[in-house]
Amino acid sequence: MTLVGAREGAMSGIRRAVAAAMARDLSAFVLPGASVARAMGLDLSGSHLRLVGTPRHANLLIVVGPLPPGLRDAAAVTYAQIPRPRAILALGAGDIAPLPDADVSAPLTQAGLQSGLADLRRVIAAGAFRADSGEFNAPALEVRVEYTCPMHPEIVRDAPGDCPKCGMTLVPRETASDGHGGHGGHDMPPEDRSNPADHAHAGHAEDAGGAGTYTCPMHPEVISDAPGKCPKCGMFLVKAEEGESHGHGHRHGHGHGGHGHGHGSEAHGAHGAHGAHGHGDHGGHGKQQDHSGHDGHDGHDGHAGHGGHSKAAIDGIEPHFMSMVELTEGQPRSSDGLQMDWIEVPFGPFFPGLPAGLRLTLTLDGDTVAGSEVRSLVGRAELVDGPQMRVADFVERLAAMMPLSPVAYRTLACAAIEEAASVDPGHDARRGRAAAVERERIASHLNWLAEFGLQSGFLWLAARAGALQLAVQGADVAGIAAQAGAIRRLTRRVQAAPLMRMRLRRIARIGKDTPASGPVDRARGGGSDARTGDPTLKDLGFETRVRNGGDALARLRLRCDEIAQSLDVIAAAGRIAVPQVPDVDRVSGEGAARIETPRGAAQLRVKLTDGRVVEADLDTPSDVNIALVETVTAQQELGDALAAVASLDLSPWEVRG
Amino acid sequence: MSILVVLLSLAAGAYALAVIERWAVHGHLSLTGPAWAALALLGRESLLARKSDRLFFELGPVLLLVAGLMAVAVIPLAPGLIITDLATGALFLNAALAYVLVALIMAGWGPNGAYAMIAGWRFLGQFIAYAMLIVMPITAVAMRAESLSTVEIVASQEQLWNVLYQPMGFILFVVAAMGLAWLPPLDLPDATGELAGGVEAEYTGVRLAVLRLARMVIILALAGATVTFYLGGWLGPWLPPWAWSAIKILVVAAAMLSVGRYMPRIREARYLALSWKLGISLALANIFVVGVIALVVPI
Repeated sequence: MTLVGAREGAMSGIRRAVAAAMARDLSAFVLPGASVARAMGLDLSGSHLRLVGTPRHANLLIVVGPLPPGLRDAAAVTYAQIPRPRAILALGAGDIAPLPDADVSAPLTQAGLQSGLADLRRVIAAGAFRADSGEFNAPALEVRVEYTCPMHPEIVRDAPGDCPKCGMTLVPRETASDGHGGHGGHDMPPEDRSNPADHAHAGHAEDAGGAGTYTCPMHPEVISDAPGKCPKCGMFLVKAEEGESHGHGHRHGHGHGGHGHGHGSEAHGAHGAHGAHGHGDHGGHGKQQDHSGHDGHDGHDGHAGHGGHSKAAIDGIEPHFMSMVELTEGQPRSSDGLQMDWIEVPFGPFFPGLPAGLRLTLTLDGDTVAGSEVRSLVGRAELVDGPQMRVADFVERLAAMMPLSPVAYRTLACAAIEEAASVDPGHDARRGRAAAVERERIASHLNWLAEFGLQSGFLWLAARAGALQLAVQGADVAGIAAQAGAIRRLTRRVQAAPLMRMRLRRIARIGKDTPASGPVDRARGGGSDARTGDPTLKDLGFETRVRNGGDALARLRLRCDEIAQSLDVIAAAGRIAVPQVPDVDRVSGEGAARIETPRGAAQLRVKLTDGRVVEADLDTPSDVNIALVETVTAQQELGDALAAVASLDLSPWEVRG
Repeated sequence: MSILVVLLSLAAGAYALAVIERWAVHGHLSLTGPAWAALALLGRESLLARKSDRLFFELGPVLLLVAGLMAVAVIPLAPGLIITDLATGALFLNAALAYVLVALIMAGWGPNGAYAMIAGWRFLGQFIAYAMLIVMPITAVAMRAESLSTVEIVASQEQLWNVLYQPMGFILFVVAAMGLAWLPPLDLPDATGELAGGVEAEYTGVRLAVLRLARMVIILALAGATVTFYLGGWLGPWLPPWAWSAIKILVVAAAMLSVGRYMPRIREARYLALSWKLGISLALANIFVVGVIALVVPI
């Protein structure tokens, strides 16, 4: 019995002791995430299991539930980042390729987790080391070498050769195949900085006119009367003449290499990127050329240390050769006017503190977010699978599609179908359903609090809110009443915690006119709530809660308010009933329903033909709120930007795929 | 001999801290947990990130450990129980801990990973916040003791511990020390939810074990410094001096480790602003007040 991901070495002597220690000390990285696991009712906090925030510190990968296809490649990358010996525990996961087969599989239940961990401990203790541990390979891990010109990043070839534009020898760089990422691109820097031509502090004169001499843009000491190639680097020599011209520095790859694609090479191809670290490369030029005494002009006093560049030492080199001002001209600048290295950093889809399944790519300017791109890797597919679906299958499918709030979507599906079939569930059923949705709201908001606690290092909150969520989820009215006091205390304590105001105030402010849904809208004084005016809820004493402020703090407070209100509603309802699939008989018709899910209003339109669902169309709150990500992260410090995204409580599963 | 005793107690202290940290982070209180964890770490692959800056990557954790050990060298555990009683001990402590910054930037830069690199530079910003607030309270402590020797400083608190004599300095020093040891809520360089482990993110196996050990040593050194400067060092009734030192250091370290569990991480910009605008003014006021008291009431 050995692990698939065993470490190489014979199992003997001291290694047995080490393996025994590993079996005891399980550090787990959870896929898709701890919040999803909790929403599925799994308590990972016990069992002497430590949950870690990076696969590098884990020795166990726990896959919870079926792994969505969009996450498969990222999962493979994550697995590859775990140091050996590494193990996989699959809980109700089914097919997890391209991950290797799970070392232990168990059903997705608490008992399954316990027995799975016990089995896993035995496997690790017995087989953490193996003489011939195989390599793990997955398409997502393959690195492709391509060749590019240091001066012309748009030139990319599969084979080595010369650049058709300038004749320079192409240099190799590595790129990951698509799907790379997973956990921040640790493993596979998409770019190779190690190429020698990286110091391509080049400028090439473009102005025509004057016979002049020819020189190499890279090596100004190379001067020739005739055109040709530079003996040092093989570049075409360029005509040099006096007078101003534009130095176009093309710099490929930059700075602390390997993190994403430089903004220079990709987005701003015309003017090369000029990373902060590049400055040093140019220093030599100024000094070298200064003492020639040629009277260049130095018009760049504001850029201390770079003035020297502008003194032309050699006839025929434009005075502005390598001028910092011109090299960085037209490039985006930080709001403070500083020119910094920009790096593109992927966060997610398994990033601790962001919703699981969300891929957030931040372009960082120093530690300020200069740009962001967000997308869901688990976006929902077509609602109706095939030409038509049985009503029961449709309801189950929709509920399963939304692991973070299955009850709300189940209720929504049932309500829409009942509307289409003109069935009335009855007064009691309505009350029970409303209470079921409110219970899910409490659980969902607690889950959000737990995630926020994890992200912000408020670990007491993460542990407490997570435990309460598990206690509330699936509890009956009496069970919830038993936890109500603890939940209310938690919400009060969160809001009063030291540094909380400072952490969230003025973060992710959203104005009145931006479209937003659910708590995000109600926390800026908006009144959108699908529950408003619902007679059943009104009966139960429901009133729309609204907060002003529109920032992350207001959202936290509003969610706390809503938790308290939902507790009251459940107590008033007196019973909780998850809706049963409505019994519709060969009916045809169309119907729509709108329901306030924990994240905002969701609307479903269904068309029934002959008692089967033939068409369905769903609007979800996360579809609306995901568009806010760019606004709330722009020009924020990294930590604030992540808090801002978290404050929106997005469910990547709700986003249209 | 005393060197050996100090190093052994250091090892015991580091282990005790690991137990406490485990509780603070994961909520499990287990006396044997850290031992298993350490053994398990030693058996894991120690990966070298591709295209890493090998020198920085390897040296970062080691330098951190060295900085911590040097700082411990001037912490007196009992009369005569100190590795070296330098005349400039308090200053030396500060100088040794300056390498924490260097080590962390090296560890952040070395592995060629975005999270680690940002974390390393974050710590540089953090340095600006805590650095003055380590030195200035020490200045006031030294003023009272009329010496920079840590042994003298403890002796000067015979009548009244500095925590009562200069409470403001105590608070500032503890907060700054937590910043220096990047403890929550000032854990910007290894923020799990923001940088997935930050400077630690790329370290695995033995290297990670060294990094974690070094962190424990630094926390111990800072708790030791707090006890030495403000809580009367080994002074106390009934128990032998070494026991007082051990108890006080462990209590301070435990408090430092666990307080962050109950609040969110501070925002970097606010931390800097508060440290400079409020912290430094208070530290100056503290020096002034201590100076006046030292002149007027000789205790």
